Amino acid sequence: MTDIPRRNPNLVMRLARLGSIHQSRLSFMRVLTRRMAKEGWRFERTDFAVNDAGEGHAVYTAHGPDRSYSLIAYAHDLPPEKRSDRVIADAWDATFTLFDGIPTADDIQRLSQNIPVQEAGRVSGTELSVSRANRSVRLWEHVVSRLADGRQPDAAQIEAVGYLMRTTAVYGSGKLGAADREMIADRPEFRAPFQVEMLSVYLTRWFVLDLVQHMANRRASAAGQKAATLSLDLARSMGIGNSTGLGMAPFLLNHPVLFNNWVAARENAIQAVCSLDSASTEERALFHALVERSKQTIATWHSEHQIQIEKLVELRSDVEKLDEYLGQNDLTGPRPWYNLYKWAENSLSLEGQEWIASLILEPYGTLVDPLAEEMAADNTATFRIAGAMTIADLRGLLKDIYAWALEIDWDAPNNKARAWYVSEEKLEPRLGERFEEPVEQYEQPLAPGRDAALLYKALAHWPDETHVADFLLRHPEHRHMLRRAQIVGRAPYAEIRDNTISDRVLPIDMLRCKLAFFGATQFDPRSDRWVRICMYGGAPLPFELDHANADFWVFPEIEPQRQESVA
Amino acid sequence: MSHSLNEIEAMGKRAARGAGLSWGLAEEAAKGTRWLSAFGFPGTEMLAELLKLNDQVPPIDVSPVSLSADIWHAPARRMSPLIAGASLSDCAVRLYERGSITMKNVSLPLLAVPFMGGAALRLGVPVAAEWDGARVATDGKHLCVQGDAAALEAKHAERLVFSAPAEMTGQNEAVMRAEVSGGSWDTLNQFAHRTFAPATEESRLRGAGAGLSDND
Repeated sequence: MTDIPRRNPNLVMRLARLGSIHQSRLSFMRVLTRRMAKEGWRFERTDFAVNDAGEGHAVYTAHGPDRSYSLIAYAHDLPPEKRSDRVIADAWDATFTLFDGIPTADDIQRLSQNIPVQEAGRVSGTELSVSRANRSVRLWEHVVSRLADGRQPDAAQIEAVGYLMRTTAVYGSGKLGAADREMIADRPEFRAPFQVEMLSVYLTRWFVLDLVQHMANRRASAAGQKAATLSLDLARSMGIGNSTGLGMAPFLLNHPVLFNNWVAARENAIQAVCSLDSASTEERALFHALVERSKQTIATWHSEHQIQIEKLVELRSDVEKLDEYLGQNDLTGPRPWYNLYKWAENSLSLEGQEWIASLILEPYGTLVDPLAEEMAADNTATFRIAGAMTIADLRGLLKDIYAWALEIDWDAPNNKARAWYVSEEKLEPRLGERFEEPVEQYEQPLAPGRDAALLYKALAHWPDETHVADFLLRHPEHRHMLRRAQIVGRAPYAEIRDNTISDRVLPIDMLRCKLAFFGATQFDPRSDRWVRICMYGGAPLPFELDHANADFWVFPEIEPQRQESVA
Repeated sequence: MSHSLNEIEAMGKRAARGAGLSWGLAEEAAKGTRWLSAFGFPGTEMLAELLKLNDQVPPIDVSPVSLSADIWHAPARRMSPLIAGASLSDCAVRLYERGSITMKNVSLPLLAVPFMGGAALRLGVPVAAEWDGARVATDGKHLCVQGDAAALEAKHAERLVFSAPAEMTGQNEAVMRAEVSGGSWDTLNQFAHRTFAPATEESRLRGAGAGLSDND
């Protein structure tokens, strides 16, 4: 049999497909929970000083094999009119930092002056992240009042929202003076990307559950009553919401090697699984079970946004087609996963194809999970331009990677209708209308397709044998793009092979892609440029995390679980 | 105040862009400033000084006339260490073949040193730079420094010589935090501010896609 090739970047790196990616074994939340369970991490709440108005602080510490990390949470009493998910907000219901080690009283005091004001504060090298969260007003009040009244909250209302608080930014890697990623990148627990941020959110979820119980207890106590204890099943069903806006989209363009490594790891995994000659009975059984559980996620996925509503109609129809396929193909034949994937590629929507592409990895932890180690990036080696490359070679590179861009008419206004810029308001990234707003002079270099076409044109009259070093001396304006082309030459999944400034571009495609790598599900776009998700919904709580529940929690259980109370 | 290196790099990029450098050169300026800061040099101070010196000056005036000339020089009587440095990095192979590249009249020569770090990594051999009273050599990861602060932080070098392969004697490791003077940070901030679009109510609503309520 012939070798199964890796999927072509020209297929994978289109925005519509990137905007349909699903979480997988390689998603950063699952990488973290697997590691913590495997290494037997221990978790404790060491401080909880919150008053009746919900103001104060709490500390939660995670103890790994070599080091400990603490979430310091500050709770606030936020007036409703101040509650906004936008970057430009300046007050929140709760604010957080992940501290490297165990904080002293002095650390907690120092940070109480800085964390609550977020971007207006300063942190130091002992802080690994800075984040904030707002309540879901409707669910928060429902849960507090029900518990205070001695009753459990309504499971349907919890399911409809999914979280008690949503984070609106989680800053890491040197932001606001925090530790650079380079300071901690050699620690095994942080080798995979975004593990600091994922740990911070995981501990935040625990704090939020404690806070809602505390507020219910205080309210009941004020009325001379005793509050109910939130059931463990309901507690576990809730995750932490997240509102993600435009800032995430430039991230993928500004970190091409990192992005390549994420996508390449998943593509290598898909290739490895597709190359398997056969599947064992256990592997097939696990796959079938997870298909069933995954259907629950798809069935309960709600969105009010027209684009996502249409994609969900297609995905639900894909689910039926998969049932038919699996009814006729029991995966006992040769190359079962390749044949299944190829069928999906020819028969399903992009949502359906990417759902299958991720799902076939599930039975193969031994094969797939080590690839997570390759998802981080050190950009030092790829940053330098190879100045001895000839113009002829550069032309070849551009024709190969950017063929799609060289075909676009960049003089047509609709093909460059938008411009990415940064607002002076808290440096919020925004997408403007090039021909309607005065933003072009502030444009960020986030349109590689157009810039590659411009570079290609500028090379037209240069001799083949000239080195690019000499071209760049005359044309420093092409330096950014030329570097990019050389990077993508070495890292084929580094580039979004699509127009990022057309009048039809959907920034939510980029946001969805990044959040799927985090491990999010049930994406709910709220416009074409921001999206809500839920993280860790259904995940074991820290005190119950073990080998048995660390891996497949992202797939909802089908059997109703036994009701238990939080210890 | 202690800053993270990522903060320094982000600020350096925006400031260099605000001063009129192309995005690609702004990226080089940012990486270089970060590199110098990590070795305890006043990277942000020197970048701020250079950006003030060359503010709005056409890059071609302070760029090398030719990369194949015996001595690299700029049409103006001073050459930008960022532009000349970036070219040096692009010419790493040529540097190795020639053994040395000499530059004439370079502003703030230390700002060109990070680029030879890049060249050293590409070539796999140490590269050295020498100017009046100062010699630095690097393999890209470590740095050896000879000369006092005044010589190292000189405003101008009449003659700056890069050579490869070079010898490493005594080595400094990079650190992970940097002290930044408030004055230089403010200057960089002013340059960076030129790259930010003024906030308008329209962009506030359209640009970030506010739409459905975000308070529910």
